[in-house]
Amino acid sequence: MIPSLPLAFAYPAVLAALAGLPLLYILLRITPPRPALMPFPPLRLLFGLRPKDDTASRTPWWLLLLRLAAVACLIVAMAGPIWNALQEAKRPVGPLIVVLDDGWAAAPSWDERAAAAARWLEAARRSAQPAAAVPVSGGGREITFIDPDKALNRLHALQPQPVLGNRLAVSQAIESAAARYPRPAILWITDGLDHGDAQEFAQRIAAVSSSVTMISSGRVIYALAGAENKPGGLFVRVLRSLAAGPAQGIVRALDRRGLLLAEASYDFKGAKETTAEFSLPIELRNEISRLEIAGERSAGAVFLLDERARRRRIGLVSSETADTAQPLLAPAYYLKKALAPFADIREAKPSAADPVKSLLNDHAGIMILADVGVVSGQAHDALARFVEDGGILVRFAGSHLAGASDDLVPARLRRGGRVLGGAMSWEAPKKLAPFGRDSPFYGLPVPDEVTVSRQVLAEPDPGLAAKTWASLSDGTPVVTAARQGRGLIVLFHVTADTTWSNLPLSGLFVAMLRKIVDLSEETSEGADSKTAGEPRAFEAASLAPSRTLNGFGALGAPPAGVTPIPAGFSGPAAPEHPPGYYGPPGKSVAINALGPDETLSAASFSGLGFQEEPLRVSGPIDLKPWLIAAAFLLLAADMLLSLWMSGNLRFFAPRTAAGLVLLLGAILAGPAPSSAETGAADISPRDLGAALTTRLAYVASGDQKVDEITRQGLISLSRVLARRTSLTPGDPVAVDPARDELCFYPLLYWPIVATRPQPPQAAAAKAAAFMKQGGTIVFDTRDALNARPGGPPTPEAKWLRNLLEGVDVPELEPLPPDHVATKTFYLIDNFVGRYTSGTAWIEALPPVPPDGTARPARAGDSVSPIIITSNDLAAGWASDPSGESLLPLVPGGERQHEIALRGGVNLVMYTLTGNYKSDQVHVRDLLERLAH
Amino acid sequence: MPLAALLEDKASRTGRRHQQGALELAQRFQRLSIAAREIAASVMYGVHGRRRAGAGETFWQFRPFVSGEAAARIDWRRSAKDDRLYVREREWEAAHTVFIWICRSASMRYSSTLALEPKIDRALVLGLAIADLLVRGGERAALLGLTPPLSSRGIVERFAEALMMQEAAASEEPEALPAQTGLPFGAQAVLIGDFLAEPERISAMIEGLSSRGARGHLVMVTDPVEETFPFEGHTEFIGVGTPGRLRAGRAEAFRSEYLRRLAAHRAAIERAARKQNWTLTVHRTGRPATEALLALQVKLESASAALRLAQQDPQS
Repeated sequence: MIPSLPLAFAYPAVLAALAGLPLLYILLRITPPRPALMPFPPLRLLFGLRPKDDTASRTPWWLLLLRLAAVACLIVAMAGPIWNALQEAKRPVGPLIVVLDDGWAAAPSWDERAAAAARWLEAARRSAQPAAAVPVSGGGREITFIDPDKALNRLHALQPQPVLGNRLAVSQAIESAAARYPRPAILWITDGLDHGDAQEFAQRIAAVSSSVTMISSGRVIYALAGAENKPGGLFVRVLRSLAAGPAQGIVRALDRRGLLLAEASYDFKGAKETTAEFSLPIELRNEISRLEIAGERSAGAVFLLDERARRRRIGLVSSETADTAQPLLAPAYYLKKALAPFADIREAKPSAADPVKSLLNDHAGIMILADVGVVSGQAHDALARFVEDGGILVRFAGSHLAGASDDLVPARLRRGGRVLGGAMSWEAPKKLAPFGRDSPFYGLPVPDEVTVSRQVLAEPDPGLAAKTWASLSDGTPVVTAARQGRGLIVLFHVTADTTWSNLPLSGLFVAMLRKIVDLSEETSEGADSKTAGEPRAFEAASLAPSRTLNGFGALGAPPAGVTPIPAGFSGPAAPEHPPGYYGPPGKSVAINALGPDETLSAASFSGLGFQEEPLRVSGPIDLKPWLIAAAFLLLAADMLLSLWMSGNLRFFAPRTAAGLVLLLGAILAGPAPSSAETGAADISPRDLGAALTTRLAYVASGDQKVDEITRQGLISLSRVLARRTSLTPGDPVAVDPARDELCFYPLLYWPIVATRPQPPQAAAAKAAAFMKQGGTIVFDTRDALNARPGGPPTPEAKWLRNLLEGVDVPELEPLPPDHVATKTFYLIDNFVGRYTSGTAWIEALPPVPPDGTARPARAGDSVSPIIITSNDLAAGWASDPSGESLLPLVPGGERQHEIALRGGVNLVMYTLTGNYKSDQVHVRDLLERLAH
Repeated sequence: MPLAALLEDKASRTGRRHQQGALELAQRFQRLSIAAREIAASVMYGVHGRRRAGAGETFWQFRPFVSGEAAARIDWRRSAKDDRLYVREREWEAAHTVFIWICRSASMRYSSTLALEPKIDRALVLGLAIADLLVRGGERAALLGLTPPLSSRGIVERFAEALMMQEAAASEEPEALPAQTGLPFGAQAVLIGDFLAEPERISAMIEGLSSRGARGHLVMVTDPVEETFPFEGHTEFIGVGTPGRLRAGRAEAFRSEYLRRLAAHRAAIERAARKQNWTLTVHRTGRPATEALLALQVKLESASAALRLAQQDPQS
């Protein structure tokens, strides 16, 4: 065994064979390489020559080295080398105490920790010493030394805990154990975290025993803490124990069902703490129920989010119109300031006709009406329905409300109001009374300085007290609420600005709004349907655990011994209430392993005189197969070289070798530039041009003649379009559907040439995507002359069928005479090209409704994604600048060329305007023109 | 280190590629021959008038008819001018005959990576090309020991055919040197081969061929490897045609001595050739065939000019 290297041999004796290497060297050295056989006609001339130095040339040194290396490899391989062989732990001299940090920080390397502990327990068994495996989570339980075998069994039953244990309690147990069994050997497998007690614990066990071994993994521990759902996004603090190790990573956000919603990267940049940000839409952010650091299996690297972390969307309507001029006088200002930290506020656009409805359409969960007196009929109904469906309506009083009357209030209001402490009154402004037990505000401190000088009064109906959430010191309600359907109506009897009360200036205002907002999830869940006005306890006294995390960060049923948390508990997890969800589903509270402001710090144990051992992470590696493979490769190389030297390796000519070198170079150098390209994917100028100018495009078939005719045809059509319509298309372009981006072109003309090979699968897929996204492809089989109705398909038709195999083509029908495509610009019957006999196929229209109102033009919901014709349209369009057809037409004539162009114009107009022409607006004109 | 190989026996046989190669070379050579003509401006080729009556095309003289002669020989147009009968005589014209021999021994099938083609290919192409060139110039060409002198246009095909027939019939290896039959006076011989045999045998062969006064040209086709001996290291040389092997521990040690011996071998052959007023041209397969053809043509022309002078001398 070599002390400096973690290398061991199974059969070290075999290594003695290495001594034979020099002998082999000499043998190989004097054995010349096989002579090169060389036919030589003038051999006669050589006979009888006696050159001065005719000793055979020796094996070159590098070949010798190669062979020796191969043999050495074989010998070493036979000796059974093992890298990182498991070393036996030192045998303890006294009873062994294995202290195991089993908090969540130990979870990522738990298996290695357990293996290290097992190794020591094995050693203890061999030296017949009693042992004890003491998990830190066990606390101050008394340590009993048992047979190492039993201790091993116990060790195997241990699992990491989701919370960090209390080491000091363990140290007390150790001290008492040491009192019974003096001089124990202590092995401490630490997670390396200093959670407040590492130093003291170390000192205490150092005092107990002189033989303390500490095994630490040296692993950096990562954790999540303090996620906050802020307006801009969800932020979570990422912590690590040491400013070392990988600085970048990914935090994953999962929803309640465990589906991945988003990933956010973080970068420590040398610090020990950083923040990961999820900038997602608020609906998605509210779905997040669990954050975890990717690749870190521990409860600390998991952060659970509950209802409290969700952001609500609040619609805010205020009666003021000129809010912006003097913001401090506007109620919306105070509300926005108070709500912004935990909710998203939506305000209706100033121009909105009905702000209430537009906000309700925006899916607000809470509506706040700040001093809105009269709600119009429609908006009233919408609001009532909103509340019935579980929404929360919060209203603030004010002059408008005081003078108006509607039923969207929790209690009947007295007209007018009450002024306290004014010039005409005799009472001082009233303070708030403490909140009653039934109020959701119960527990909030009531500051002294909050006074109410004016309010609206509720009629003292029976049941008013139950509806009261907050009241003045004289008992008059200030905040009343009533259930209505599944929702809730809350009324603040004061304004949301400071004119009636200074409540909006106090922190209480924020707390009260927060409580109300927290209620919204509950009401929208519709968990219970209590009748309006019935008093209900808004919070249970304590929350039972529903699902808890284990040490590895997996949610599961809570283990026995977990106690419920009191209502309103907001501290970090503790052994008696591990991280997890507490409370009934839908209203559960998440407890996390780390408190919101907690940090991680690594413990330092310098100067204690502990023997430190690394936690072996890598297992033993058997080097034998690798060495044998190396020897084999070396021998193969030797064979090739020998062949080459004796000239029997023809193909290993210099040219081939140079080619190989070039190939290797290309392989090595190849990826670099390509990755650079992907980094900066610029928009090609061609795409830029296509995006800026609408232009016709055609698929280059590869047949030069057809492509040229197609180009000419599209140029002619573009010319006609520019002359006759408001569309001025750019120059037509040829595209390759496999390579080019198609989304810039509304219309793609695809002439079919049966002799060309099929485009690759990618091209068909892209064409299909193009059609799905609203593009139109005109396939032109150009075989109207050859095709016979009912006859066998022409080669072009077969080609097209092959192409469209696997493409989602809608149902097609021959172009019906009333199709909108025949009416979009000109009134035409068919798309005519070079031939007139072919039929154009287009996406089938929905059938004519049975009531049979005859309409001159019919259209589907969208533009047909595919049109198949066989008339060779482009050849029919192609003309010289003076308008003369370039190609002879069948049957021919100036008129046919014109009709062909009109068909082309209609086609382009159809793809650009869709079903616009089937609108009834044009029906009269169309009818008139059809009558002629 | 260059590599070398022997052609398979089958692959070495005369075939279409040699005909094609020869014709192409001869075609190409026509362009080259413009340059060659300037060098040999005074040399004419073709049919050479012998300044005496005989078989020929051009008019020589009228002579009185001698009774006993065939009546068909009377030139009636001339005879009609007076009462006597005349016979039209033509100048005796005779073409030179060039005997070509192409060595096809085993050693000719040698080819190295430095060579453009195997020696035998080069020799066959050269031989057939010179035959074509000669026939087109009006001379007659014969394959030594295989064909009579021919002047047909398809001389390349005829020669190739004759070679193929011999190869098909021959059971043993072709000889490294031609049979020592004396060539007629005035004829020329073109011997193409690698001439690796002992100089004494070559000398005897030349003497045998020129025993009746024929002149000749040796074209020695060699592979660049044979000239430069670029071998290194442990090499085993295998004889070609001649049995035997030689294992050289360090081939490079042989180089200087080999080159000296090769030069001596050449010098011996050249001496033997010069003794009979023959010429020796060394051609390397690493060079294009046109070089050898040009050199050979120039030598043939100068030789035939000399021959003509020699023939005219006794007349004048």
